[in-house]
Amino acid sequence: MLLEILGLEVRYGGIRAVKGVDLRVDEGELVCLIGANGAGKSSTLKAICGLVPVHAGAVRYAGADIGAAPVHELPRRGLVLVPEGRGVFPQLTVDENLAMGAYARGDGEVDADLEHQYETFPRLKERRSQTAGTLSGGEQQMLAIARALMARPKLLLLDEPSMGLAPMMVAKIFEIVREIAARGVTILLVEQNARLALEAAGRGYVMESGTIALSGESSGLLADSRVREAYLGEGA
Amino acid sequence: MDVFLQQVVNGVTLGAVYAVVALGYTMVYGIIQLINFAHGEVVMIGAMVAFSVISALAPSGLPPLAVVLLGTGFAIPVCMLVGYSMERLAYRPLRRAPRLAPLITAIGISIILQHLALMIWSRNILAFPQILGTTTYFVGGAAITNVQIAIIAICVALMGGLAALVYRTRLGTAMRATAQNPQVAGLMGIDINRVIAATFVIGAALAAVAGVLYGTYYGIAQYTMGSVLGLKAFSAAVLGGIGNIPGAMLGGVLLGVVEALGAGYIGDVSDLCRYGWIAALMDVRCADGGHFILFGSEYQDVFAFLVLILVLVLRPSGLLGERVGERA
Ligand SMILES: Nc1ncnc2c1ncn2[C@@H]1O[C@H](COP(=O)(O)OP(=O)(O)OP(=O)(O)O)[C@@H](O)[C@H]1O
Ligand SMILES: [Mg+2]
Repeated sequence: MLLEILGLEVRYGGIRAVKGVDLRVDEGELVCLIGANGAGKSSTLKAICGLVPVHAGAVRYAGADIGAAPVHELPRRGLVLVPEGRGVFPQLTVDENLAMGAYARGDGEVDADLEHQYETFPRLKERRSQTAGTLSGGEQQMLAIARALMARPKLLLLDEPSMGLAPMMVAKIFEIVREIAARGVTILLVEQNARLALEAAGRGYVMESGTIALSGESSGLLADSRVREAYLGEGA
Repeated sequence: MDVFLQQVVNGVTLGAVYAVVALGYTMVYGIIQLINFAHGEVVMIGAMVAFSVISALAPSGLPPLAVVLLGTGFAIPVCMLVGYSMERLAYRPLRRAPRLAPLITAIGISIILQHLALMIWSRNILAFPQILGTTTYFVGGAAITNVQIAIIAICVALMGGLAALVYRTRLGTAMRATAQNPQVAGLMGIDINRVIAATFVIGAALAAVAGVLYGTYYGIAQYTMGSVLGLKAFSAAVLGGIGNIPGAMLGGVLLGVVEALGAGYIGDVSDLCRYGWIAALMDVRCADGGHFILFGSEYQDVFAFLVLILVLVLRPSGLLGERVGERA
């Protein structure tokens, strides 16, 4: 088991955003976490990474309790989040953004990895000296993912990578996510696009107002009438 | 003598020092949106430490240049420690507090540092031993001394070094990344506390050198010298666009030149005897080439603040700044 969350609670002042979530991701899995706006998906990911405090419960990663680990420690251990809204550094160039992705690494293969990212994302290579703020939304999402890969993650957390993108680009991003998973990177994918997420993932969790309402194999969730009605836009 | 050219030379010298100090304001603002009003005091401490070392070593028979370098060599680590301590002890605990809290804290630190200096170095105006011989060169009607040339050269080298650090190194890229999005910088594995501390320490090292240069140039140091100098450097940073590094450099030099030209011409311009009708009106006697000067060059300090007010009214984002509210 690579990631295990038990009874996680997150609070913002008096607001309970996550109310006792249990979730696990095994090595090599692609797991998705779906749910409506405000369900608490991002809060869950932020708590895993230490961006918001774990109010109650436990977060275990690779056998260690990381509930109180400082944010900057986690990339060193192979846990990397691509945040909601991409979070590229707008005034740094594409090259510099990617270099920051490898900040935590001390090995000598960073340059080789950089070239590898540019092979995977030729559109980024053409724009490598451009500042990230001048890229299109889709290109920024590619940059955010490529930057996270520069850290050589064991577990990649993706927060709504398809948000705000045109259908063509959404398909492209999902293709990239599948490729990364096929290379052996474990992925926890948060998505609003439930159908695409469940089709890509092996297992899924459905989050509703701070708790896990349903979970299981993707095929089972895709066939579940409650999921079809609430998240796949189909009549019951 | 060409007054204009002379004042430009003097202004560039002083402006180069302002620019180096302004970098400290702008870097800290860029990364944590704090105006560190205690930065001027770091410059003062740099000058004071150098004064003590230079005074102690001046009679020792060491070569004068070595004495000045030793003074600077002591001032830099002391100021770095002061810069580090103020971040660690005062500003870091207030990182999440409303912005007014660290701002008022900065004023408090400024007062504390001034009074520490008062206790250590007394309230007297201290005369820097003038051990560096001065040579004056004449270029196109203006005089420039070897000290002025050295000040300009050192400041240009410091600015070049800082630009290389910020735009070419890993730490510099991490500093810019942290300024743009501290949360995501953390997610990349950047320890933003260390990056912020480094920003203070680098700014303080620059301030130390600026303090030595300023003290050497004017030949004096006093525990209060940091306030006006700091406010002028802050004005320079605002003129260039607060948070913007090239802006601080440009703003510093421009402010120095504006100030020097203002000081050079205000006496002439405000001489009522130039305006016969006003002189007649006010019954001022100007016979035999006499003068009736309203504002003398002691009004020099006014120009920096006039510039500050004009920038804040006309272009709050500064010359090179982005839209107001955008980060460095
Ligand atoms: N910084 C914050 N301060 C206060 N409340 C917050 C904060 N961040 C999130 N919340 C609240 O917590 C709840 C969960 O938010 P969260 O961002 O985790 O949802 P989400 O599932 O990611 O939604 P979306 O799909 O819209 O991104 C929401 O009600 C939100 O308003
Ligand atoms: Mg979200």
